[in-house]
Amino acid sequence: MERFEYLLLLAGCLLGTLPLELLLGVRVWRRPARLARAVLPVTLAFAVWDVLAIRGRLWRYSDRYTTGWEVGLGLPVEELAFFLVIPVCGILSVEAVRVRLGRR
Amino acid sequence: MGAYTVTSLLGCALVLVLELAWLRTGLLRRRTYWIGYAIVVFFQSLVDGWLTKLSAPIVIYDEGRFSGVRFPWDIPVEDFAFGWAMCTLALLLWERQHDPDDGDAEPEPDPAWRTLSRR
Repeated sequence: MERFEYLLLLAGCLLGTLPLELLLGVRVWRRPARLARAVLPVTLAFAVWDVLAIRGRLWRYSDRYTTGWEVGLGLPVEELAFFLVIPVCGILSVEAVRVRLGRR
Repeated sequence: MGAYTVTSLLGCALVLVLELAWLRTGLLRRRTYWIGYAIVVFFQSLVDGWLTKLSAPIVIYDEGRFSGVRFPWDIPVEDFAFGWAMCTLALLLWERQHDPDDGDAEPEPDPAWRTLSRR
């Protein structure tokens, strides 16, 4: 179970921000095309950055807390998930403020 | 200074240039963005703090390739530049597609909130 720690942390981020959509009335998940067009270019750009950083030995990942599954080019599946999940959480957070303050 | 210091700052500069020269959303001038971003940084610190804690790190940084400054907890400060570039780019691309007629039917805000949000 320990090796799923990173993935579980990201699942926690998704679950933790879900009430913004479900309870606060933020409309981010409900605009999947717009969300994809905002997030996927970021995912791609940062995945490339990550691959280069791993090759440049800027950082590496714990064998103990990651699954060891790789997407390719040495990129852990957790990192790909990170670059998908965290931008979504960021958009949800700022949209939540916008909805609460009632303006753009 | 290290490779991470330089590349994370370059990433921020690149996002700024993208906004100023091409996207032009005006997002960075909006108060809602900065309030939202403060919330993002708070939660980033919790999540990133867990990822980088030296007692059981998930991400292991090469000490010679960043500034060596870890704050708060054991988070390399460069992570905040990296995170800013990543989240802000996503927010800019999100904002870029804003269409006033996209059925943005939001509930009428509470009067108290409206007062707070006055420019």
